[in-house]
Amino acid sequence: MDLRLSEDQLMFKRMFSDFCAKEIRPRGEHIDQAEEPPVELLNKAVDQGFWAALVPESMDGCGLDVYTYTLMLEELARADMSTAVTLAAHNSLVVKPLLDHGTDDQRARFVPGLAMGETLGAFALTEPGAGSDAAALRTTAVRDGDFYRLTGTKVWVGNGGLAGLFLVLARADRGITAFLIERDTPGLTVGYREKTLGLRGVSFTTLYLDGARVPVGQRLGDEGKGLDLAQHALDYSRLGLGAMALGACERSLEEAVLFSMDHIQFSVPIAQKQIIQNYIANAKASIEAIRGLVTQTAWLADSGQDFSQLASITKLFSGHTAYEVTNKLLQVHGGYGYMKEYAIERYYRDCRALEIVGGTSQIQQYLVARDIYRAEGLEIRP
Amino acid sequence: MRIIVPVKQILDPRGITVRRDKERIFVNQEEYILDPGSKAALEAALRLKEAALDAAGGWEILALCAGKAQADDALREALAMGCDAAYLLCDKAFEDADISATARILTAAIQKLEGADLVITGRESGDTGAGQIGPRLAEALGMAQVTDVHTASLVEGGLRAVRRWADGFCAVVAQLPVLLTVAPVAFPPRYPLGARVMSAYREWQVPVWDAAELGLDEAALAPLLSFRRESFPPPLDIGERFEGDPAGMAEDILAALRAQKTVR
Amino acid sequence: MDFSFPKEYRLLRRVVREICETEIKPIAKKIDREHGVPSELVKKLASLGLMGVPFPQEYGGMGAGEIGYCIVAEELGRVCSSTTTVVGAHIGIAAMSIHLDGTEEQKRKYLVPLAQGRHIGAFGLTEAAAGSDAAAIKTTAVRDGNEYVINGTKVFITNGDIADTIVIMAVTDASLGAYGGITAFIVETDSPGYSIGSLENKMGIRGSTTAECVLQDVHVPKENVLGRFGAGFLTFMKSLDIGRASLGAGCLGGAQVAMEASIQWAKAREQFGVPVATKQAVHFMISEMFVEIEALRSLVYRTAWLIDTHQPHIMEAAACKLFGSETAGRCSNKALQIHGALGYSRDCEIERGWRDQRITEIYEGTNEIQRIVIASNLFRPYGVKVST
Repeated sequence: MDLRLSEDQLMFKRMFSDFCAKEIRPRGEHIDQAEEPPVELLNKAVDQGFWAALVPESMDGCGLDVYTYTLMLEELARADMSTAVTLAAHNSLVVKPLLDHGTDDQRARFVPGLAMGETLGAFALTEPGAGSDAAALRTTAVRDGDFYRLTGTKVWVGNGGLAGLFLVLARADRGITAFLIERDTPGLTVGYREKTLGLRGVSFTTLYLDGARVPVGQRLGDEGKGLDLAQHALDYSRLGLGAMALGACERSLEEAVLFSMDHIQFSVPIAQKQIIQNYIANAKASIEAIRGLVTQTAWLADSGQDFSQLASITKLFSGHTAYEVTNKLLQVHGGYGYMKEYAIERYYRDCRALEIVGGTSQIQQYLVARDIYRAEGLEIRP
Repeated sequence: MRIIVPVKQILDPRGITVRRDKERIFVNQEEYILDPGSKAALEAALRLKEAALDAAGGWEILALCAGKAQADDALREALAMGCDAAYLLCDKAFEDADISATARILTAAIQKLEGADLVITGRESGDTGAGQIGPRLAEALGMAQVTDVHTASLVEGGLRAVRRWADGFCAVVAQLPVLLTVAPVAFPPRYPLGARVMSAYREWQVPVWDAAELGLDEAALAPLLSFRRESFPPPLDIGERFEGDPAGMAEDILAALRAQKTVR
Repeated sequence: MDFSFPKEYRLLRRVVREICETEIKPIAKKIDREHGVPSELVKKLASLGLMGVPFPQEYGGMGAGEIGYCIVAEELGRVCSSTTTVVGAHIGIAAMSIHLDGTEEQKRKYLVPLAQGRHIGAFGLTEAAAGSDAAAIKTTAVRDGNEYVINGTKVFITNGDIADTIVIMAVTDASLGAYGGITAFIVETDSPGYSIGSLENKMGIRGSTTAECVLQDVHVPKENVLGRFGAGFLTFMKSLDIGRASLGAGCLGGAQVAMEASIQWAKAREQFGVPVATKQAVHFMISEMFVEIEALRSLVYRTAWLIDTHQPHIMEAAACKLFGSETAGRCSNKALQIHGALGYSRDCEIERGWRDQRITEIYEGTNEIQRIVIASNLFRPYGVKVST
């Protein structure tokens, strides 16, 4: 078993890390304060392959394996969570499902735009009455000749304000179905942008569909297969959130270590105080635990195995751990950790989302328990 | 100048849930409060006193409450708001008092205090909403009464009150002594000062008068009303239903509002 | 043993709750969004006696003691942490230090207007290099005839920019160290040489201003020495010790509303065909909140009673602050999780509570310092010195 990174992986990691440190990291504070998605940064990131991470080289993409993709998200999160989440949603929840479930024609039509930075992707599943209970969604897709007419309301659509292409889950005759729908489709309106506690550079919006016409050729996968498709996409999303939790915790640790070495109280840097050392050590232990989970899950995905359960476990563990770690590392900063000039302040707020987006921690608990009991022949209900 | 304000202690309606489907009133939280109508009456009294502070003559505002022993709390709150004294009228014999008996108890207390220039009550209480105490006291005491008062001020010749009348208001000047019942909306009560809250319990005395001290015998306290049962009023069929498409319904509603002269 | 509040406190709580619900709660979101507790609100609270709750009536206060003050802090904590902080710094440490250590003349001149809320108070201790290590302050006070001349910069000062009176800790003899070398001074902020530097941009309690206060050759008369000369450290420790109990009370209010909001949301929100309240993951969280809140309530009011009956209370007060802040943190975090995505939205009040509560584990002595205070007091009888 060799856990070392290959030459290629090392090269990509260095490339991502350099770009993120130089271009994205210095903008983090501004992105959060101005609550602006970093459009110019996202455009700059195209050339580095951030929009085409999982697109095969045969389609002019980066052709990264899943593990290297997680390295990319880790570096992005280390620089700025909002930028990371924006690109992760695009890659995990739109590009990847299109690659995995799209027809040749769909891939030829949409992948280039998504990969070249022309079109940002957004995933629309959640509704006001269907959050954790996603299967209770009520958006309808009524067949009308060569089209479907989609009607309903989606909320908390990540990237909604910027996206050119939406992957929408709606209920057709044979059940929940996935559709690709472009922003300028008549009947599609992007509505209210949420004001959030953290991830303030991400555009979360409401999406209104009022008889929006989607050609049959833009149905992704078969009718009734939408939930499976969404579940599979969410596996990548959850792994990605784990990688982002890792990057966020690493950045927070870096900030806390530097602060504790600089800040002098009782005549010594606070790094010399036992309790501070314990907080730092515990944070490092948590980071390595998350890394282990992310690595193992990515390996399962790269070896073509079912990684759904481990992705849930990764999300469950890393989401909660990121909250605990950023909370304690904020405490290391004392009063300064409460001030917006210090990065830990926004990392604490940003990481709080990790227990909610992509399926709450409680849903992850249900999914993991369900798998365990199913293996023993017992079906449990949420 | 003396103002007497009869006050009432009621069950806090916020702790009550009315369940029509179960034909019952549920008390979720049993808390007793100073009736909002009474607070408005106290506020009216305090405003009159403040307006006249540069005038001659001592002023006193007295609060009276016919109730159980715990009604002492309502009177402390009245003192905290700014009353000068408070009296609790309490006796086992008062426990079954209906509204006519309660009025007789209060009348006896007011007579024991040798009357007042002004008696102010709330227009109706927050629990029964009967609105009878004021008029009954006025009759028993032989006072003029002005009900549903929105403003009150002392003028040459007595008290000028603006009261609700048909679709509007009318101004009345009454010679003292006079009884007023006040509209709660017109006299939003002040918050008691914390220091007075402390003092109300720690420094003031609230004398308790029982039936004997008020000279009330069984006959005087006999109720006129007996309670048979409680039931919900039938559901009301009020309002107008509009149906159709959104644009059409909007037109119809607008036309109806215009006809009602609610909008122009 | 009678664990019920005396009746005057029950009435006080009802009155203050109504004030908070009517005057403060409707504008709490705006206070956060626009970074300011309106001065008209402060004036209104002053007119109702809420700026001098624990102080004797003869000094313009409400005469409600520490128990009354904790009740007020709890009720304020239910509706707006920013307002709680403004009032808390004013009463709890600024005016309180004058109440504890002031001469009769100082109380007449400074405590009375503070208690009446005609003046606002602040407490100037912290400096850039002196946070937990309060004894490391560098602000100096040099004797000059009948005056002292103060020079230095204080940071993270609540109410620093709106205060009329600020209690400043300064070094009067560097060779004597913390015990003997630091003195407390009452400074009038309109003195020449007193100015405000920057105002901090914070995660929460955004309606409370946190200022940098610059003192450049500020002259104060010698009559303004607060407490014994050179014993400033003791003066501020005494003040902070008492202030901690009411901090716990403010946290109690915040934790309580987090639980109440969670109950209301959980019974209304349906997923999987049932109210989420019926899900064990949800109602277990709420039960845990209840347990901690009840424990905190007993701790806070028993500590307030210890203070009002002049009994030792240092460890208990530190425990109020420590347990209170961490309880409020856990309750607000659970409440956010119960509300799901809505809890992450600024349209809902939950996330404001989550942000506001975070500072309570840090200010007025970090929770690490509280643990040291408790340990130091626990081990002292055995002759073992536990220090920072």
